[in-house]
Amino acid sequence: MMLAVPALAQDGAEPGQTQLNGTIRFGFDQFFEGVAITVADSSGAEIGQAVTDTDGRWSVPVPGPGAYRVSIDTGTLPEGIRLREGQESLVDAVVDAGQSRAVVFAVGEAPKGTPFGERAAQTVFNGFKFGLIIAMSAIGLSLIYGTTGLVNFAHGELVTFGAVIAWYFNSSWGELNLIVAAVLTVIVCGMLGAGLESGLFRPLRDRRLGIFQLVVITIGLSLLGRQLVQLFFGAEPLPYRDFQVQERWEFGPWAVTPREVATIAVILVALVAVGLMLQKTRFGKATRAVADNADLAAVSGINVNRVVLIVWIMGAALAGLGGVFQGLDADIDPFLGFQLLLLIFAGVELGGLGTAYGALAGSLIIGMSTEVSTLWISPELKFVVPLAALILVLLLRPQGLFGIRARVG
Amino acid sequence: MPADRPPPEGPSAPEDRSMLLDSARRTTEVEPILTVHPEPGVAKPNPILTMDGLRRSFGGLTAVDVDHLEIERGIVTALIGPNGAGKTTLFNLLTGFDRADHGRWEFNGQMVTSPSPDRLARRGMVRTFQLTKSLAKLSVLQNMLLGAPNQMGERLWAAPFRHLWRNQERTNTERADELLEQFNLARMRDELAGTLSGGQRKLLEVARALMSDPALVMLDEPMAGVNPALAQSLLGHITQLALSGVSVVYIEHDMDVVSGISDWVVVLAQGRVIAEGGPWKVIHDESVIDAYLGRRRAGTEA
Amino acid sequence: MDFDIIFGNAARAAFGPEAIILALAAIGLNIHFGFTGLLNFGQVGFIMLGAYGTSVAVATFGWSLWVGIPIGLFLALALAVALGIPTLRLHAVMFAIVTIAAAEIIRILIGSTDAIGLTGGPLSVSFDAGAFFDLNPYADGPQDRYGVGTFAFTGQQMWVITVGWVLVALVSLIVFLIIRSPWGRVLKSIREDEDAARSLGKNVFWYKMQALMIGGVIGGMAGVIDAIKTSGADPNGFRPQVTFYTYTALLLGGAATYMGPVLGAILFWFLREWIESFLRQLSAEAWLPGAIADFLEGSEGIISVAMVGLALVLLMLFRPQGITGNRIEMQLDAR
Repeated sequence: MMLAVPALAQDGAEPGQTQLNGTIRFGFDQFFEGVAITVADSSGAEIGQAVTDTDGRWSVPVPGPGAYRVSIDTGTLPEGIRLREGQESLVDAVVDAGQSRAVVFAVGEAPKGTPFGERAAQTVFNGFKFGLIIAMSAIGLSLIYGTTGLVNFAHGELVTFGAVIAWYFNSSWGELNLIVAAVLTVIVCGMLGAGLESGLFRPLRDRRLGIFQLVVITIGLSLLGRQLVQLFFGAEPLPYRDFQVQERWEFGPWAVTPREVATIAVILVALVAVGLMLQKTRFGKATRAVADNADLAAVSGINVNRVVLIVWIMGAALAGLGGVFQGLDADIDPFLGFQLLLLIFAGVELGGLGTAYGALAGSLIIGMSTEVSTLWISPELKFVVPLAALILVLLLRPQGLFGIRARVG
Repeated sequence: MPADRPPPEGPSAPEDRSMLLDSARRTTEVEPILTVHPEPGVAKPNPILTMDGLRRSFGGLTAVDVDHLEIERGIVTALIGPNGAGKTTLFNLLTGFDRADHGRWEFNGQMVTSPSPDRLARRGMVRTFQLTKSLAKLSVLQNMLLGAPNQMGERLWAAPFRHLWRNQERTNTERADELLEQFNLARMRDELAGTLSGGQRKLLEVARALMSDPALVMLDEPMAGVNPALAQSLLGHITQLALSGVSVVYIEHDMDVVSGISDWVVVLAQGRVIAEGGPWKVIHDESVIDAYLGRRRAGTEA
Repeated sequence: MDFDIIFGNAARAAFGPEAIILALAAIGLNIHFGFTGLLNFGQVGFIMLGAYGTSVAVATFGWSLWVGIPIGLFLALALAVALGIPTLRLHAVMFAIVTIAAAEIIRILIGSTDAIGLTGGPLSVSFDAGAFFDLNPYADGPQDRYGVGTFAFTGQQMWVITVGWVLVALVSLIVFLIIRSPWGRVLKSIREDEDAARSLGKNVFWYKMQALMIGGVIGGMAGVIDAIKTSGADPNGFRPQVTFYTYTALLLGGAATYMGPVLGAILFWFLREWIESFLRQLSAEAWLPGAIADFLEGSEGIISVAMVGLALVLLMLFRPQGITGNRIEMQLDAR
């Protein structure tokens, strides 16, 4: 990835004169001529104007020491050049008496200078991968909701746990290879899911606790889990020990790392396996029967508690694995899962609550829209897009994109 | 009060008209309907509800497909039919709880253009539900008061100023107490509705619906899950309603009930009206029996 | 270990501005969730708009604080309308998720660098709340303290607290008046079963909208107090957990009760600060093994928030009706 080097301003004017100056340039060899700069005093009254010369330099003498506001007319920048991200077109500068104060306007080629098509291809790839991670984490949320009606707000913390436990296996306890660590993590998370279901949620269902109370309990668990991670792991983002620096493989417009390919491959295999299991096996049929009508399933001889237990084990394990991949992609911190939770919700709801394939499609849409939106908007706003998409879809199709309109009465 | 109620325990209703008198009055009042020819979609002398081309389907399944149906004013009409015949769906459509794919209907002489449940209720069409919707965490009295129409105190701006709505509240409370007395719920007045038995909740729901002095009451299986003693009293109330000029439509499965209190019976099967007429006639109609037994007549196939 | 200091700190938190802010937020949420049954998981959005509306009006536009406050409240009202029109018809769980998402969208937008010129973006915004403190009747010298031991406030804090608690009392009174009326009865009927309310001729959508607006504006008041207290606003202070804390306070005190949100907010901050102060004192104890002391050091805040999570779980398990709620009503829920 090529990064633009910020433009540097030079201190090149004769000493003694109080002035503001600078150079508008990009990299070491591009200097931009004819860019208009305006200097005003702190009240906004204009002091002077300058236009850059062939070497990109400009300077404006000022009447004395003090604070000034310097603005650049972005319209005068050459085609394809613009202010870099985070650079405001209006800058405050303080000058001392006799000082020649340099003012920096960081400019760069319109993002990266990679052709739009190539960037688009790359964001689609990133979005696909991100969508798959969301989808894998979403399976558990969707199936648990489908079979027990519970909306698990602590599901994000299962994802965080996956990332963090794998980090401990990989970097702290025994320094295991990340692949081994990931396998162990999946087992630990599965056990955690089993523990939550049989130790907490099943007894609570037997006590006939209201659905709202259950949701609040998951919120409490979510807070508790996140704080515990912060307590032991810390708030600083950390990477795994393995697979950090990798050479990119070029596939047509895509430059991908082997770990990204592995991520996608593993998730696809896991999703296909889950899909086959739900479609073909007895367990899958039982799951769908429980989701359809738990009482009816129970009287027709299905062991509902066993089905729910397996759903929890599977869902927690997949969420943990999702956490491992997300941590591989973006480092591990205590908020990793909670950040993902809203997107998981969005994916599941977009597809239609309780539908397995809908959740997959919804998650992919969420992942793609998140990443692809960075082609046009600043990356710090990228999570706005899927959330806004979610709201929009719910307005137009409350049952989700693939859900079936419920029968009233 | 109807006389076919079980012997009342404790303080009971003073009215003790004989059953004979009741039936006598009924016969005279419903006479016009007896002259109507019993065939599906037939016109009635004084309909309160008239529907045309009402259709609703879910996926590929047609739940309701009524070409024309009129509900006569001031009598008790039973809506019967086998499971899945579309009775509740028809209720939902008429009361605005569901949207028809097409079709239109007229209530009390006015076309229903944008059917919303609350607007229809305010116009005098009040319904109850198959699964009772008593408001569990409100007291029985509060449940009743909710049924009262046009309450000043239900407007936000007037709510904090008690003197603006105190008198109306008092009047409504009196009316509620009267109805609770009639429905044998006076003892439970200040209990939370959620603590009532299933049958008492059914009674409460009917009593609550009457708070608004509706023109048409639509009861969805009012007798389901109610113990026989309470059911008897409920039947009495339904008959009594018609006597006081309220039109009643109710869904019911029990043929004894249907033949006992209905003035008119409409039979629905697979969403269509397959028969209507006086209770005796309809219940012994071949096609109705076939529909209940799941047999198909050649004629309805088309 | 000095329990006087611990108790003093806890009491100061329980009656300080933080508890006032939480109490107002919880009163608003009580109208949404407690009385109407709206599962609003985005209460923080209303608080945020109240705080930012006030701050931005004063800091960015240079208007008077007395103009800024109504603007903050108006924005909270506007959010209620904008959010309500499309979402009030949604299923409860979907409504919860949409509200949480909407609040996050607002936070991300307000905190983005693109918004620096308007809201200060990630840098937060600060303004001069002098117009408010000019009215301060309390002597506010560097030596002036009101209270005993560590349970003491400065003159400025006293002014915020006085105005704040008077506001809490007023708002509680108004809520009491409107909830015990037939209007409040309709809200409760919607909470119990909105189809039943509809079948009785109530315009459910409009009542829900009114509830959302009133509760939202009260949430906005919490934001206004927050903005005045800190003389500004910071996007990081408005994360989704603020809503969860509000639920904790409300459920602790008892949802659908008049005093529940206020008592809950006081108790919430008392317990949270008590735990934190206790741990701070504990980690300084000489007899404590070094490893444990090191572990505790600097983690007191993290642990006290963890306790909030634990408290939520235990509360739902053992006393779902809160400290003032009615056990029988709660049991009716499970049916």
